[in-house]
Amino acid sequence: MKYRFLYVLALCVVLLSGNATAGFLNAEEFYLNNGMQVIVVPNHRTPIVKHMVWYRTGAADEVAGKGGSAHLLEHLMFRGTKKVPGNELNNLLEVNGASSNAFTGQDMTTYHQLLDVSRLELAMFLEADRMTNLHISDEDFATERDIVFQERKERIDNDPMGYFREAVNRALWQTHPYAKPVIGIDEEIKLLEKDDVWEYYKAKYNPSNAILVMSGDIDVDTAKKLAQKYYGNIEVNGIKNEKKFADLSEGSKVVVDMKSSHIKGFRVLKNWAAPSFATNKEDVYNLYVLAEYMGGGKTAKLYKKLVEEKKKALDVAVKYNPIARSYGVFAISVVPADDVRPEEILQELEKSWTEALEELSIDELEKTKQKMLAGLIYWRDNPEDAAYMVGAMAVAGVSLQEIEQQDAKIKAVRYKEVKKAAEKLWNDAPQVIGILRPKGDDDNA
Amino acid sequence: MRRGSKFRRKSSNIWVYFVLLMILGVCLWWKWPLWRPFNPQDLVEQSELKYKKFETDIKIVKSPLYGVSAYWMEDKTNPIVAINLKFKNSGYAYDDEKALGEAVLVAALMTEGAGELTAQQFKEELELRAITIRFDAEKDDFSVSVLTTKKNLQKAKELLSLALKRPRFDEADISRVKAQILESLKRQDEYPDSVLDREMQKELYGSHPYARNPLGEAQFLKNLTKDNLMSFVKDRFTRTNLLVSVVGDLSEAETKTLLDDVFGDLPTNGKNNFVRNAEVVFDGREKKILRGGGQNLVLKALPSVQRTDEDFYPLFVANHIWGGAGLTSKISQKIREQEGLTYGVYSYLTIDDKFQLLMVGFASTPDKFEQAENLLMEEVASFANKGISKKELDKAKDYLLASYNLRFASITNIAEILTAMQKYNLGLDFLQKRNEYIDKVSLKQVNAAVKKYFVKDKMISVKIGEF
Repeated sequence: MKYRFLYVLALCVVLLSGNATAGFLNAEEFYLNNGMQVIVVPNHRTPIVKHMVWYRTGAADEVAGKGGSAHLLEHLMFRGTKKVPGNELNNLLEVNGASSNAFTGQDMTTYHQLLDVSRLELAMFLEADRMTNLHISDEDFATERDIVFQERKERIDNDPMGYFREAVNRALWQTHPYAKPVIGIDEEIKLLEKDDVWEYYKAKYNPSNAILVMSGDIDVDTAKKLAQKYYGNIEVNGIKNEKKFADLSEGSKVVVDMKSSHIKGFRVLKNWAAPSFATNKEDVYNLYVLAEYMGGGKTAKLYKKLVEEKKKALDVAVKYNPIARSYGVFAISVVPADDVRPEEILQELEKSWTEALEELSIDELEKTKQKMLAGLIYWRDNPEDAAYMVGAMAVAGVSLQEIEQQDAKIKAVRYKEVKKAAEKLWNDAPQVIGILRPKGDDDNA
Repeated sequence: MRRGSKFRRKSSNIWVYFVLLMILGVCLWWKWPLWRPFNPQDLVEQSELKYKKFETDIKIVKSPLYGVSAYWMEDKTNPIVAINLKFKNSGYAYDDEKALGEAVLVAALMTEGAGELTAQQFKEELELRAITIRFDAEKDDFSVSVLTTKKNLQKAKELLSLALKRPRFDEADISRVKAQILESLKRQDEYPDSVLDREMQKELYGSHPYARNPLGEAQFLKNLTKDNLMSFVKDRFTRTNLLVSVVGDLSEAETKTLLDDVFGDLPTNGKNNFVRNAEVVFDGREKKILRGGGQNLVLKALPSVQRTDEDFYPLFVANHIWGGAGLTSKISQKIREQEGLTYGVYSYLTIDDKFQLLMVGFASTPDKFEQAENLLMEEVASFANKGISKKELDKAKDYLLASYNLRFASITNIAEILTAMQKYNLGLDFLQKRNEYIDKVSLKQVNAAVKKYFVKDKMISVKIGEF
């Protein structure tokens, strides 16, 4: 009876809030005639703007054997066009006070600048220009390939966990494109040729495959005018990337057990290929709430149990990322206490997980939701935060309307569904268990 | 007449050609944007959105009951409030010699229970309302950063106040947090950059407290008791060494109440250790640490100046041009962009209280490392010899002026700036005058600073890798 009442109450809250709030960002979205998507997040405190162009393409879209080409292209995008040659782009952005950078992921390649509003049009001009007019000289290509090789050494080889992370990813994703490292492996990077990168550029970089985000001191009308002025006339010379990814087989479970010379303490983790906005939208909010309930801070269940009560771990973190063009990732990582071995912590983790699920009640669920909702307003503070969020979501195909309704979606989560999603994840989703030991650790100790 | 008609006929032909040419020109202009000349300066000047300086109306607010003062800036954009504070001279460099790690341990325990609230209850109060309170033991100061919604401000005040005045330090919490810090200490050696950084501090500062491990020492950490931590709180969290900034949706009156409520009954005075200025001999010495890995890493140091020194701005500009600007800096152009020898080479200035440095660093695979290092040293020498040009100075100034507004992206950033203004005595009008300070820097001043500070043979180097 009580349960039913609460359910009706919860439903009312959802319906009411759905109507009452315009959305927590008050963002707007529109399309240019060439198919380019534009999202504007007005934020008028400071006269600055975050300008980002997200291409719906990344390492997952590379031709087999050409690993690292998406990322190498990202580097070469700073090496000049026919109109703005050499490092003129970097110079211009510098004298205009911009902080400018780019990043490549499995799903996206993103170019972005934070700048004074008075310099926004310069960034728009330069970004529109390099969308179609890139020029790659043989010399620049060779130098930039060397730089990327050094980058791989710095990011992966200097990091004692670098090869472990790559092995865990390969084990989880198997033949899925997400299995390959975004930056490529040594041999691939060295063998990349200018044509590999050029063909990728020609195939993937076009307005209908791009999302423009402007977040900051700009109103929607001005944004429309400027977007049209700088990006509107770029010819439709390609299509939106709608790559389909193959399904992973359910129930696969791989253990990666490695040793590394510089490691001083065990690393233990458990990762799942989890539902995402792209693969199974219905479960996304259930898993968001589950991740928060299990490991979203120092009052979350797994921390309370493993660290504070049982004293088996020093830290537990749970992360869930459903913002992807294919599967998302649900990840738990544990730092075992000094005298606890990886095998033991894995058993303790499973026990605590099961107990926590049994203890999940409507009260606990509501408390978890409150923690998630109480801070939504902070998204309106720093314009960069909102820009990154809406851009990543748009790449994953999430509509702005859905983004704006975060609070209603979270409020609507029901505890039976969370339990069901948790059980399905733990038992059925493809998973990998990773153990990294210090060199010299005796497995049978 | 004849002539005239001839003239007329000819003229009409010219007009036809002219019009056709115009049409062709417009078509080309329209069709091939590539043919249009690109003038970035015009583009910026004719931009729709014009430059507006972010207006900062900062006031010094003094609380009526206890006379606690703070820098305050109202910003009603969003219903949120940021509080930033520092207890000066209470960072890890000020730890008792036999208690290395106490500042770090206190910082980690400050949100683990206070007053009647246990660790779990305290953290639950914070998390349910999305209030964040961060405590940090820096080198010189003990700093605190708070972010809350206006709605939960009262609760945030209560929790901050409780933590500062009535922390619990229950045995179970002390031992849990100690174990966490000890584990972090153990893992410090896993990463080459972390090893390099600590070795550099030791090489520079020797027996001075600045050489200390920021996380303390295991032997002392293990022995710290509740009594030690209680006296740390009593001695260091006082009104005399307190700097506070409040930014956000909070009126002057509300700020005054906040100051009295939270800081009013802190002790007026405490006691603290004395840390002398560091003395470092820069004699070009070098230390190598052997370790296998992907790359060799190096850090190099030269002496710099205090934030308020007259050489600060010229040196700041010089550093920007040489190694601070990112991809466009001189060393990045040479070693990364032209030669492809590294993913990143950079320099920066540190402004700690007891010593200031000009630091430079990069990483490169063992086969390329020596070449990169030689180029870097050549760049120091040629910078000192040639100095900078007027054009380079103008470019650096353009960047520093045009990027001014970017620092105000969030209220947390703004609150940090307000505290820094107090710490370095920059004056209440610093933000109004900052662009003027940059603009005033002359070519002569910068080149004098370059000569004085970029001295190749003095550089202290520490390297890690395969040599």
